[in-house]
Amino acid sequence: MFRRLAISFVISVAAMNAMARTRPHYGGTLHVEIAGDAWERPAGVARRLVYDGLTQFDTNGTLRPALALTWEQDNNFHRWQFRLRPGVRFHDGSPMTSAAIVSSLTASCSANCPWDTVKAVGPLVIFSNDSPMTNLPALLASDQFLIALTANGDGRSPASAVGTGPFQVTGFNNGVLALAANETCWSGRAFADGIEIRVHRAVRDQWLDLSLGRADVVEVPAEQLRLAQQQHLSVIQSPPIVLLALQLGESGMLANVKARGAIAAAVDRGALYNVIFQKQGEVTASLLPQKMSGYSFLFSTERDLNRAHQLRGGLATGAITMSAEGDGAMQLAAQRIALNLHEAGFNVQMAAAGTQHADLVLRQFLIAGSDCGAAMERILWDAGLPASVADKTSEDLYKRELSILDNHRIVPLLDLPRGYAIGARLRDVHLRADGSPDLSSASLEDVR
Amino acid sequence: MRAMRLVGAVTLVVCWMTALACNAQTAQVQSRWAQPASDLAGQIADVLGPGQAQLSLRNLSSIQGSEIPVIRKLIEQDLKTRGVLAGGAESANAIRVTLSENARERLWVAEIVEGNTTHVAMVHLEAAEAEAIRATSERVVLRKEKISGLVGRDVHGIPVLGAAEINGHFVVMFADRISVFSNTGGTWTESNTFVMTSKLSRDPRGLLLPAADGGTFTAYAPGTQCSGSYSLPLNGGTQDSGWTVKCRASDDPWPVYQSADASSAPALKAFYNTARDFYTGVVAPNIGVDLPPFYAAGMIPRAAGGAAVLLAGVDGKVQVVENNVMRPVSGTRDWGSDFAVVRSGCGSGTQVIASSSGEAASDSLRAFAIPALDAIPESNALGTDGAVTALWTAQDGKSALAVVRNGLGEYEVDRVSASCN
Repeated sequence: MFRRLAISFVISVAAMNAMARTRPHYGGTLHVEIAGDAWERPAGVARRLVYDGLTQFDTNGTLRPALALTWEQDNNFHRWQFRLRPGVRFHDGSPMTSAAIVSSLTASCSANCPWDTVKAVGPLVIFSNDSPMTNLPALLASDQFLIALTANGDGRSPASAVGTGPFQVTGFNNGVLALAANETCWSGRAFADGIEIRVHRAVRDQWLDLSLGRADVVEVPAEQLRLAQQQHLSVIQSPPIVLLALQLGESGMLANVKARGAIAAAVDRGALYNVIFQKQGEVTASLLPQKMSGYSFLFSTERDLNRAHQLRGGLATGAITMSAEGDGAMQLAAQRIALNLHEAGFNVQMAAAGTQHADLVLRQFLIAGSDCGAAMERILWDAGLPASVADKTSEDLYKRELSILDNHRIVPLLDLPRGYAIGARLRDVHLRADGSPDLSSASLEDVR
Repeated sequence: MRAMRLVGAVTLVVCWMTALACNAQTAQVQSRWAQPASDLAGQIADVLGPGQAQLSLRNLSSIQGSEIPVIRKLIEQDLKTRGVLAGGAESANAIRVTLSENARERLWVAEIVEGNTTHVAMVHLEAAEAEAIRATSERVVLRKEKISGLVGRDVHGIPVLGAAEINGHFVVMFADRISVFSNTGGTWTESNTFVMTSKLSRDPRGLLLPAADGGTFTAYAPGTQCSGSYSLPLNGGTQDSGWTVKCRASDDPWPVYQSADASSAPALKAFYNTARDFYTGVVAPNIGVDLPPFYAAGMIPRAAGGAAVLLAGVDGKVQVVENNVMRPVSGTRDWGSDFAVVRSGCGSGTQVIASSSGEAASDSLRAFAIPALDAIPESNALGTDGAVTALWTAQDGKSALAVVRNGLGEYEVDRVSASCN
């Protein structure tokens, strides 16, 4: 009897899971709700719907062509040339030319760029630099270097957003950004006719709208993933690809590497992981996640208050300012770290959220792509500590990372996943390598 | 008493055979890990020199737990031959070995602790590929053969829409071009490329139909029709240079009729909606009923004579049109949007090969018989290495060709043949 019941259960479960991989349907409007701004970097959900980069990462983190079809380096990575994909047009119908690319890149990076010069030569975009640019193709896939038509503005607001991506901006009213499918998109027309993104919506309201069928995609912050699962939301989440790290300045008492080392030793990662982020992701003390590098465990994640006191020694303890990017869990995490540092004898004063010039800034860094060297260089670039990482073997990468972290300008804390909950009528939503949802390939089941 | 002796003898034999099997397995594990264990032990000994050290080992990799004691023993032995004795709880030196891995490789790491100093040694080795073992049974056995070595420009990530072997060459229709591959030393290498300007799509589809004469083909892509022909070069040219392909803008209907003998003239043409990537349902000649929009159609012969038309609709329903009546086919809930009709000669003689995915990352293919209004599985599921993006009847009518997009986003072509069990 039990056996028969068990078999029936297995068959019924198998039948429930039997889903045909039928072709997607075109049409309909997707409704997305987010807590932040659709254009904010690096995770603004609208940016990659409207813009493309010269290169892009696929879902496996492999670098693929986008607006550039091919690229090659010479002079030992001091010069790169990218050949553009022919026939691509901006949303306003104007052709994508190498001059337009150079103009966009110059607008998005006017100083401290990964290159010294960028110029247009026929269908080529040529980058040159005094130092080798080993990972330039991977860097160009990052959010900062998405290509916008600068003739219309800087591309940083909906009004001036003209790109080559699968959707184009049609309006922004009452907190709803409206996008329409780009019929002539070089990568093919998106399945949905349009997307409406409601911005600045509290996560609790997003979930309510999802349950009422008023939203198709809503956010699930890392610390609420467990709650979302308990509420039986259909959640898709990325691997832990967001590095939560404390970035340290080097002015005042922080000019002393021992003081920075004391701060690194005083932080209690376990408390952040267990309490603030509800055991999501992984505790880390390295720039790259364990699954990516294979050596992350070599960096100790244990709090060592004795060592912190020892390193701080008799250093003068002036006030240290601290801020956190983002709100909610990030602010709580910053407060918890301030408490840790207080226990180590530091006088930490919290600065307003988003203050960029604090001595300590709690930040999130995206780890995109499967190439360890390129991912490390990208983190350093985003942290304002640019350095070319040409190392390829695990031993060399480990040594490189060790030397970077020994300087304590950046203190890795946690690797967090990104999550979204999706409605029942939506299918084929995949997360990109950076954990954002790729809505250009998503379709709605109930359109005919 | 006699029965007890018999049981005892059987037990002894079973134990002996088990021991033999265990020994064989251990030997296999030893031979697999001997080299990295030796390399790591060498690096440790270089740092530590002769002496004693406490050895600990942990596994953060996908290596099975049962293999860990063997690996530990290998490392201990290799250390011993280099003068490092593992053990000695009182020793100040410690060796912490971690079996780790990343996306590219296995990484064995030794942290060698000498007092307050820790040295790190690493050995990396390629991750072993798991070999899938698939059981086959039932009336029809599906086998797949990867058409390997389709090497050429930008093959990776460019969708394959159709393919056919013509005149000793492999003609492949990509989303952006038609390429002719020549067999050089067992590998297919792109020898000719003809750019094709068709409407861009996120779900691109196409048809590549070889003619019965074996020397020409017609290809259909959204908004485009191409004709290809091969003639042996007269003077000087190589064998590969005899191909010509001409494309033109076209909204002519596509020949979708997949008979069990694909080399016969197509009997059903359907208009294709280039904006939505499906057949509109308007067909020529008229088959007696108004068809809904559909993704695939094929003809299945009936035992009583005559034939029925099978349709995979845009709404996910599979229906059969017979005697001017369209009725749903049951047992097709987990079918994908494409299918291929093959003449295997097994069972009823004709099977429909359909793809399905379930919740798995990779699709599978299965042969069905449709004697009436039920799809009856006639083969086990044949796993593919990714998502099946296109499936059609091969030129011989006895096999199907499937395009599979693997986890890396690369496309490969599999020939799927059905044989009797």
